[in-house]
Amino acid sequence: MMPGHIVRFAVAIVAFAILARLPVGLDGAFQFDAALALIWAFGILSIVLLTGYAGQVSLCQATFAGVGAYGAGMVVASLHGGYLLGIVVGVLFAMVLGVLVGLPALRLHGITLAIVTLGIALVFDKYVFQDHLFDWFTGGTAGWQVSNASILGIKVDYSKHLLAAYDILLALFCITAVLLVNLHQSGAGRRFRAIRDSELAASTMGVNLTRYKLLAFAMSAGIAGLGGSFYPLIAGSVSPQPFWVFTSLQLAAIGVLMGVRYVPAAALGGLFMAVVPDVLTRYGHGAFMGRVYDISNDWFQIALGVLLIVQLVLLPDGVWGDLRDHVARLRSALPGGARRQVRPA
Amino acid sequence: MTMLRVRDLGVRFGGLVALSGVSLDLNRGEILGLIGPNGAGKTTLFNCVSGLIQPSEGSIVFEGRSLRFAAPDERARRGIARTFQNLQLWESMTVQENLQVPMDAVGKRNTLSDALGLPLSHYAERAAAERARAILHVLELDGYGSRLAGDLPAGIQRRVEIGRALAMRPKLVLLDEPAAGLDAGETERLASLLRTVRDRFHVSMLLVDHDMSLVMKVCDYIYVLDFGKVLARGRPGDVRSDRKVIAAYLGEATPELVESTEEPPVVVTAEEPKRLPAPRANGHRPATNGNPLLEVSGLAAGYGHLEVIRDVTLTVGAGEVVACIGANGAGKTTTLRAISGVIRARSGRVAFDGNNIIGSSPERIARMGLAHIPEGRGLFPSMSVEDTLRLATDSTGAKVKLEAAYEVFPRLKQRRHQAVGTLSGGEQQMVAMARAVLAQPRLLMIDEMSQGLAPTIVRQLFQMIDVFKQQGTAVLLVEQFVESALAVADRAYVFEHGTIAHEASADELRRDRNLISGSYLGSTAGEASTIQVAANGNGNGHKPHPELMEIVSMRVPAEVKRALEERAEREGRPVGALALELLAEVKP
Repeated sequence: MMPGHIVRFAVAIVAFAILARLPVGLDGAFQFDAALALIWAFGILSIVLLTGYAGQVSLCQATFAGVGAYGAGMVVASLHGGYLLGIVVGVLFAMVLGVLVGLPALRLHGITLAIVTLGIALVFDKYVFQDHLFDWFTGGTAGWQVSNASILGIKVDYSKHLLAAYDILLALFCITAVLLVNLHQSGAGRRFRAIRDSELAASTMGVNLTRYKLLAFAMSAGIAGLGGSFYPLIAGSVSPQPFWVFTSLQLAAIGVLMGVRYVPAAALGGLFMAVVPDVLTRYGHGAFMGRVYDISNDWFQIALGVLLIVQLVLLPDGVWGDLRDHVARLRSALPGGARRQVRPA
Repeated sequence: MTMLRVRDLGVRFGGLVALSGVSLDLNRGEILGLIGPNGAGKTTLFNCVSGLIQPSEGSIVFEGRSLRFAAPDERARRGIARTFQNLQLWESMTVQENLQVPMDAVGKRNTLSDALGLPLSHYAERAAAERARAILHVLELDGYGSRLAGDLPAGIQRRVEIGRALAMRPKLVLLDEPAAGLDAGETERLASLLRTVRDRFHVSMLLVDHDMSLVMKVCDYIYVLDFGKVLARGRPGDVRSDRKVIAAYLGEATPELVESTEEPPVVVTAEEPKRLPAPRANGHRPATNGNPLLEVSGLAAGYGHLEVIRDVTLTVGAGEVVACIGANGAGKTTTLRAISGVIRARSGRVAFDGNNIIGSSPERIARMGLAHIPEGRGLFPSMSVEDTLRLATDSTGAKVKLEAAYEVFPRLKQRRHQAVGTLSGGEQQMVAMARAVLAQPRLLMIDEMSQGLAPTIVRQLFQMIDVFKQQGTAVLLVEQFVESALAVADRAYVFEHGTIAHEASADELRRDRNLISGSYLGSTAGEASTIQVAANGNGNGHKPHPELMEIVSMRVPAEVKRALEERAEREGRPVGALALELLAEVKP
């Protein structure tokens, strides 16, 4: 292993050690939020790979997560398979869909690709997740009920062992995040970025566009599906609502807000997306200086829109990207400070 | 031994024949030049070889195997690398990464092993980094490896593109205008660099460039394209003196050329000058008392990192016809754009009728009576002729009858309800001219009026210029048909490397053809590099400082100049000022 890899794995292990115990004292709802934050963090991580690295636009990442969730739910609840098998099947389903969505991307770019993927998200929302034709996959209106599940002998039942599920999810996230950072600096990562910067140059410099675009979509969908396949585990059931069109849009928006080119931004974004609305609903009402106020969940959407505009003006590289830059600049301004490292990671 | 064999290649875009019956042989180890006027089909040929477009007919054989069904990346792996006329580096990646992508693509890499950081990837990575360093060293790019490609000045980016092409261990490198945007000194260096590269990396090259000094110096053999066909081929010396080649460049239409164009003749009855819309009544014509109508001094402008023109100084008197001539990429179009405010001037002064118009918006400049017909005419294809012309009169606020325009261009009256996009090229040019004339300009700037048009139509359009002249409208003309331009012009400026090389009366230039053909076909010896060019601008938009003139003319070794440039770029200051400061430190 190269020194850089060792450092990254060490950082991941430390991060895991700290974050694993963090939700211990919290109540059930916040523990659920913590686990949900990781699922959305996977969703944003998939956007980091697809958009941040490979430059492809997709507005159906939540659909991939949903397919992962339903795939896992189907295996566990309908076929009575183990949860590990459920995760594998969920990820595979998502990857297959990813390749299918990637096909139009071979010809389309930018806004047209965004519209096509948004259409796919709509179709899955209305006609797959909510249509009786696909009851075998979605478990009908009631969805799949998952209880008494266990992974590799560890009980991860949502009502009693939510934290165990959270820890497994966290470990997977840390590993995936490190692999993605490694990928950025590797041959395949460079090819992805070459496609992002100039497809013309990439193709004439020997990069097989078909192969690498489809690979990016498959990997990205797999990552989103991996997060999604844990949803039945932490919620006890699957329903279409968390994976509807708007979630896809939110994932994309928060990904851009936090810095779509940076892996750590995914963790920030997941946390933001899962926790802030809940905090608002819980504590966003009361009285201040004699006036009654109520900041409900709805305010989250408005705030997100405003934040996005502010970010695009003030922090064009996203919250993580620009803050990192500022810190680096401060450091290099100190006497003996090293030159700024240009490599994003 | 023949490495690349092109036979009877034909490319059609819709009705337009871009290439027809082109055959070409490139031998191993050869640097082959491909030249020709604008639109001759050079880049199209490049795109066919690198696989970006599929030819309609003909064959391309590389090392004995047909390239017919090979995708661009497949061709790259077989050993064909290329650079791009408009830089296509991966800008958000470092220079070293730019070089590593093609290396990886040729070698075998494993994505999973990469992500896990296994030793296999480790060694591959180290070897690639080593090779990238070696290539950068040959290209005199040491120290640039960890810089972001997009942050570098255009000249450096061009060299990185060559490095990236070499990183693939290619057998053949296609170089598309590697000297575009470089000044004379840089072009000189590029020429010797290309020869070094050929010998060190054992590659063959196919080179397209408008800078004839480069092509003549570097190439072993040259093909000349014109109107999509091979016009001539031979060694540099032979090609330079070939009568047909000079004609193609300078626009002395030979009979064969006239026949080869397919545009139906358009009749313009311009023999007797028609009444043009009267010059603006409220205007201050005669424009000035002896002062020139347009006065440009020290103008510099460019795009992004690229500084295209520097220190351009010219004047146009009232009612005068002035031509700007020179090779492609010499800065003529950019000069017009900077004058009309379409792009922002970085330094210098532009006075129109005594008023400084630098920084004014294009529409304000237009209203002052300075009309600009851009290259490609700037028409709206789906709009009808009449609507287009009406738009022009509306924007000036003056009520001018369209009849006036139709009288000058009777052809347009017949076509007035037709969409502009369905007209022939010549008719479209008439619409553009009519539109400009309706605005009653005092100065009309026309960019490449004759581009893509048959000689007969070109002749008629030039007669129109004569008409404008008789009406007292001044005209500033950018033209590749030099002969025709000089026939109507009073004076001409010859552009070379982004600045004006000569100024002379049209008659003088017509008598002394060597003066012009030199600037097109590159006869002048390359000048040694001085830091003058850098002091003038270097893309930073700094004005040359009068105090610097002493240093400015000082000859310095190339390494010193480079070191100065780099430091100046880092600190964002003019090279000249930096040089002054350093000198002051040395002096006791």
